[in-house]
Amino acid sequence: MDIPAMRASFGKAAAHGDQAPLWFYSHLFLTHPETREMFPVSMAHQRDRLFAALGDVLARVDDLDALVPILQQLGQDHRKFGTLAAHYPAVGASLLATLEHFDDEWSDELAASWTEAYGVIAEVMIGGAEDASDQPPWWEAEVVAHDRRTIDVAVLQVRPNAPLDHLPGQSISLESDRRPRLWRWYSPANAPRPDGLLELHVKARDGGPVSTALVRLAQVGDVLRLGPPVGHLALDTESDRDLLLVAGGTGLAPMKALIDQVARQGPPRRVDLFVGARTEDGFYDRADLRRLEQEHAWLTVTCAVSHEKVSSLEHGDIGDVVLRHGPWTSRDAYVAGNPAMVEDTVTRLHQHGVPMARIRTEVFAASRPSPTVDGKVTE
Amino acid sequence: MTSNDRTPYEAGPPTADDLRAVQFTAASMLHPGYTDREVDEFVALAADQLARLTEENAQLRDQLRGMQEHVAAVASQPSPSDQAVGILATAQRTADQYVAEAEDFSRQMTSEARAQYEEQLTQAREKAGAIIQAAQEARAAIVAAGGTATGGGPDTAELQEQVAYLKAFGQACRVQLRSYLEALLSDVETEWGRAHPAVLPPALLAQRDQQIGPGPDAAMPFHSNAATDPPAEGGTPAAAVPATRSPS
Repeated sequence: MDIPAMRASFGKAAAHGDQAPLWFYSHLFLTHPETREMFPVSMAHQRDRLFAALGDVLARVDDLDALVPILQQLGQDHRKFGTLAAHYPAVGASLLATLEHFDDEWSDELAASWTEAYGVIAEVMIGGAEDASDQPPWWEAEVVAHDRRTIDVAVLQVRPNAPLDHLPGQSISLESDRRPRLWRWYSPANAPRPDGLLELHVKARDGGPVSTALVRLAQVGDVLRLGPPVGHLALDTESDRDLLLVAGGTGLAPMKALIDQVARQGPPRRVDLFVGARTEDGFYDRADLRRLEQEHAWLTVTCAVSHEKVSSLEHGDIGDVVLRHGPWTSRDAYVAGNPAMVEDTVTRLHQHGVPMARIRTEVFAASRPSPTVDGKVTE
Repeated sequence: MTSNDRTPYEAGPPTADDLRAVQFTAASMLHPGYTDREVDEFVALAADQLARLTEENAQLRDQLRGMQEHVAAVASQPSPSDQAVGILATAQRTADQYVAEAEDFSRQMTSEARAQYEEQLTQAREKAGAIIQAAQEARAAIVAAGGTATGGGPDTAELQEQVAYLKAFGQACRVQLRSYLEALLSDVETEWGRAHPAVLPPALLAQRDQQIGPGPDAAMPFHSNAATDPPAEGGTPAAAVPATRSPS
């Protein structure tokens, strides 16, 4: 495998921007029309993702220890799209055709290198998918409750058709028949429960096709498809330190899951939860938070608003409010919310003296900015 | 043994026809050979089996060739022409644009609606805030007048409760005042000329003067009415005011 030559040829294709993945998918759909229905109507975001993923793989191709788990996970996750081992050669053929199309100096040696590399990638991904074959490729989950809490937030209770074991704090991707082939990530707001129900907090994003449908259209009885749980905001089970949880918006969901885990499994510890919102209307789950606070003596909940002057609640950016209640230097900190809130809070906590190793975060953002009219997806 | 003048070693395994045509030399008198009939039957059977296997082998070979050709055809499947890829790519981009425009439109609509909603809400809040502020000031004035201090800054929830209380209080006052007025009028009519200022204790009289302002003449029938002759609208007027709160 001539890795530098492969990187060079990939660079030539990538230099054409959207044209290269556009060519790739058109080629794939022409040679294997059956693969088209695995993708959404608009391919703009998909195209962006493909070359980003390929670029990632190429960047790490020297470091197989890092690459293999990523590919295994990718292969496992692809099961939910209905990807079969038989699809991999088709993708490989179209990938080679694309690279050849955009490379004036394409050679048999280069083709051999790419064939070999793709073969390895496909093998690892298929292996990852097979390793997970004891689990269903996806779960069907019925919406059993749909509670529209505010103008743009709904809390859903869904019941998977088979046990879906997740760690509190992890995220699950889901697809609704109301928006086929569009998968979005949500973090259940509870630890696994005996009845198997999952609580999902959904905020309708302006122009977001899936979130708006889940908030405004979804009904009890709808069936969602759920992918396998992934994520890194799991509770550090090695530690029995007291917890500081900071949530903004629907970042509350994983924090509630962590509280649920402490309540169900322990170890006993003090938990301080800070919830921030722009206005009082943003607290879509106050009743349940109050209930939790009453049920658990070890839990303290503080709500703060940042953009409402006339309020009985604390005022200020949530990071600021958290520090007012310190010190927190002995705590394990978990932060979830929009990117600015997470960054600000982490910076403040770090300056306050909480080591970075004890701060865990999850960024909640619109799962993607919509493609612009000229088909560009910008981040 | 002869087999059409070919030796088995040169010509490979015998064919079915070889087996059928084979002739064995006669055995000597001393060592009589196998029974001819048995040999013939066995050879015929072997020939049939061999013929079947040969035919099957040929069929399999054909199948294999077919499969190989198929595989080759699939492997060397002509790549779709650049033109075809281009047409599909254009179609895809058109679809992408429609979706993007629809999403953009939806985003504009919702964000404008949200902005409007939030503005209205803010206005309503400010109005409510002003009312609360006024209520607070009014309350402070009452407290100052009543001389009872609560101490500490009240929060919004408390103030809102107080606003609600003040509204109820106002309503109750209106009801009470109407009752008083009616009772007063009736008193004035029936008691006129019988009232005497000495009935009221002087301190209470002074307070009444301060708060309501009517002269002792007016206060007197008011007092006697409240004490002896409750208004007709059911229950005492005080019951219309929430019992748990007092204005001071």
